[in-house]
Amino acid sequence: MSFVMLVPLLPLFAALLVLGGDEPSRQERAKMAAYPIGGAFLGAIATLWWVSTQGPITLRFYDPASPATLAIPIGFYIDRLSAVMMVLISGVGTIIYTYSISYMYQDPHDRRYLALIGFTTSVLLCMVSSANLMMLFVFWQVLSYMLYLLAHNHAHAATLDGAFKIFTVLRIGDVAFLSGTVLAYQLYGTLEFETLFARAVDQPGMLSPWPGVEISGPTAVTLLLFIGGMSKSAQFPLHFWVPWSLYAPTPVSALLHAGIINAGGFLINRLAPLYGLSSTTLHVALVVGTLTAILGATMMLAQNDIKKTLGFSTIGQMGYMVMECGLGAFSLAVFHLIAHSLFKATVFLNCGNVIHKARQEPKAPHADPREEAKDFSSLTWSTGFITTLLVPLLILLVTHGVLHIPLLESQGTMIFLFFIWITSSQAILTLTRLRAIASWKVSSAMLLTLLFVVFVYLFAVESFTDFLYPNPDEVASYFQAAALPNWLFDSMVIMATILTVLSWGYLYMRAHGGTMRIPRWVERLHLRLYVIVMNRLYVDELYQTLGKAVMRLVHRIDKRNARWSE
Amino acid sequence: MINPMLTPWFVAAVPLLGALLGLSIWSQPEKLKTWSVTVTLGSLLAVLLGFFTLTGSTEGLLFVLLLPLAASVSLLGQPVHRDHRLTWVVTLVFLGMGLGILTLPSPIGSIALALLLGFITFLLYWHHDPFWGPSWLGIGTYGLGTLCAGIAAMTGSAIASLLACMILLPLVPFHHGYVAALTRLPGSLPSFTVLLLPAIGLHKLAALIPPVSELETLPVIVLALSGALYAAIKALAQSRVRLLLTYGSLSFFSLLWWCVAASRTVTPQAAVFLGSLALVTAGLLLAWQVIRTRYGDDVDPRAISGLAAQMPQFAVLISVLALAAMGLPPFGVFVGFMGLLFASPLTLSIAPFVVAITWLAASWYILDLVQGLLFGRKRPDLRYEDVRQSEFASLLIVVMIMFALGLAPTNLFEGTPRSTDTGAIMESVSWNR
Repeated sequence: MSFVMLVPLLPLFAALLVLGGDEPSRQERAKMAAYPIGGAFLGAIATLWWVSTQGPITLRFYDPASPATLAIPIGFYIDRLSAVMMVLISGVGTIIYTYSISYMYQDPHDRRYLALIGFTTSVLLCMVSSANLMMLFVFWQVLSYMLYLLAHNHAHAATLDGAFKIFTVLRIGDVAFLSGTVLAYQLYGTLEFETLFARAVDQPGMLSPWPGVEISGPTAVTLLLFIGGMSKSAQFPLHFWVPWSLYAPTPVSALLHAGIINAGGFLINRLAPLYGLSSTTLHVALVVGTLTAILGATMMLAQNDIKKTLGFSTIGQMGYMVMECGLGAFSLAVFHLIAHSLFKATVFLNCGNVIHKARQEPKAPHADPREEAKDFSSLTWSTGFITTLLVPLLILLVTHGVLHIPLLESQGTMIFLFFIWITSSQAILTLTRLRAIASWKVSSAMLLTLLFVVFVYLFAVESFTDFLYPNPDEVASYFQAAALPNWLFDSMVIMATILTVLSWGYLYMRAHGGTMRIPRWVERLHLRLYVIVMNRLYVDELYQTLGKAVMRLVHRIDKRNARWSE
Repeated sequence: MINPMLTPWFVAAVPLLGALLGLSIWSQPEKLKTWSVTVTLGSLLAVLLGFFTLTGSTEGLLFVLLLPLAASVSLLGQPVHRDHRLTWVVTLVFLGMGLGILTLPSPIGSIALALLLGFITFLLYWHHDPFWGPSWLGIGTYGLGTLCAGIAAMTGSAIASLLACMILLPLVPFHHGYVAALTRLPGSLPSFTVLLLPAIGLHKLAALIPPVSELETLPVIVLALSGALYAAIKALAQSRVRLLLTYGSLSFFSLLWWCVAASRTVTPQAAVFLGSLALVTAGLLLAWQVIRTRYGDDVDPRAISGLAAQMPQFAVLISVLALAAMGLPPFGVFVGFMGLLFASPLTLSIAPFVVAITWLAASWYILDLVQGLLFGRKRPDLRYEDVRQSEFASLLIVVMIMFALGLAPTNLFEGTPRSTDTGAIMESVSWNR
């Protein structure tokens, strides 16, 4: 089964093909390099088929009984999760590379960027197929450096500054990952995934960082690794590197938002058996993910630049994904990750066209609110109301009554159903803004969307979960580990329901041209909050101030020391 | 076939004889440089011929291999100039003495160490800057080192030996000699002594540390951790490249001290870490030498930018060296660092934070330095010239050694076969503050 090694090697070969050779054949080589990347995609599909039918593939170039003998234990472990990720990465990589050949044509840095796309795809493929935590950590760090290289432009000062900051933030995550890896080795004596999980179950170990405080081994390890994942997946408060990366060419942004940023989600899934042993880490992930989703989405709404809007949308979506992990819905997070990658790659590669169109149409992208009121359609809104609020209730009742699923006892089922509802209402809210076509068409689109969302989620719940985690007990154990106290879980569901219904009501009124009586202080607060959110919580400024303060302190210590030495 | 008893003598004699013969072509700098490089390669060959007959500790054998290579790259990276002739010959003398200290039996090796430290003290005095305080501190520190090495050779005092080790493998507050050596010594000497002295220090420490009790190592641990932070802060504050690299390597050497003191053993990974760190620092010093050769000794790094487009070979080599110096894989520093951490005991909650901060700080100051040099706008008033053949060869050799140390199996440097026991901790671990 050594053909699987070709999958990560082919993009590497493509990168070398782009880099080597003379100037006249530059464009030819750029075009030829698309074939190895495409070959990697086909290889990944074949690997997925093989893994699905024959079981995981293991290739090790070291003796697992004594991993210390090889400094970096190089090996591949490809199970269904790895194979799915490989198909996603190589597929997105192929599309982005092919698009970039013409997009980057005649750009002075085209060779560098095209080669970097190949290298990054190769590094990502190696990372997701790592046989042990050490190899995963090695490629995790290389990815940090690749991101630094991708994000910067040699001669542009602002870009260089941004790239430097990105690397610094990512290195914070790397340090946490390093600590987690070392701690895992010291506690369990191995970095081989299977053995590590088995030993963590048998002898989890307890740590006492200070007297009176005890923390379980899996919690300490997973928390540290989670911080590593937070930096790559742009989770609050390590999210602020994403806007700095947006100076990079659009295909690079597409690769970043469709591939690299998913590393955190993959990490949690790869180590799911370890995360399943720590309720604390899963709850932390839930809180961090929720905060990131709220902040990312809010900041996205306040941006006035299409790339920044998309950047913050990614942050929000990553928050959503980590939130799903925090709820124990690991397979749903992978499903979300795939859907988001495909969606975001498409959107980024299309954003140039959108900007072009927007420049030609004076009304775009903002519609006149008076015209919105005039075009209001009762049919559209009634359909939206019914599909958003009544149909999900029906589904809940049917699920409860016909399928005999104990809804109130199973937070996992509630989570899936709740995500169906939130996703469909999000899609339907978007559809209500369609004006230029007949309202019956919009209503039909709403119904179809609802059905689509429901069936896709059902697929995610049933087939995809079964595919990734064939053991139902394992899935149940993750939900159990992530289970929240009932009062908290119910409050969260009720809160989210109220918010969704309120936003519906607000939009309905606005569509009628009506206004809501809002107290003045609320309006003032709204304005202030808007400014804060528009300025991305002033995190950039905070980071700069912090950096300057550290350097001032460093220089002060150095001066005092120099005086003493003289 | 060489007699095993004579092998250490033979290994040490090759560079010393080479230095002596080099004096006959003193008036021809180009020939002298070529001769010096040939002698270092001859030394490497002598080491390889006698490798299996050499007895000694694991780390000593690795350093015996690395020293001729370090001497070779240090010499290759220097421009041909009359003023550098003395440093080339002294490099050969240092190489001979270093190989002798690492391979010869105890009293002779210790005497050679005292002589070496005395020689360096003299050189530092010769090149000292009366207006720069640390210069005097450096001379004083190595003077103390000479004294300690002499006392240790005569009486076998453990305290004197430990002090000598702290000066050789720099540990704050005995680091001034190391700082002065790397910043004040001329020509090829800084890039060679950066490996020579710490390697001897670790070699001596390996024999010294196991009998020491846990309580006795506590002051060393405290010094090592505070020294790592101090050196990282100093490195962050530096605008001069040699000082930045000196303090950067000092902070990592302090981490090595912490690991050795905490585990009370010198593992092969410690040797790999030291060898890689010293070599990568030597490589960066040589890369900086390339800039100094073109733009003068006192050039401010902030005044140079845009080298990536104008000097692509140099840019690639210095970038790879910077990656290795930051502790990124797959280079020796990363592998040695991981090996050290895996072998370190799970105690003292403050230690992991210091290790993490030191490692993070390295990414900051090294990247800041390299980014400033390579990127940004091209200056029209500067004349750019990419690396010459010998400069390219020296940097490339360092990069290749870094790769080799990163990818080679760690048991390659072990004297006895390692146990396959992974050392899992199967009971609850108390992680004391």
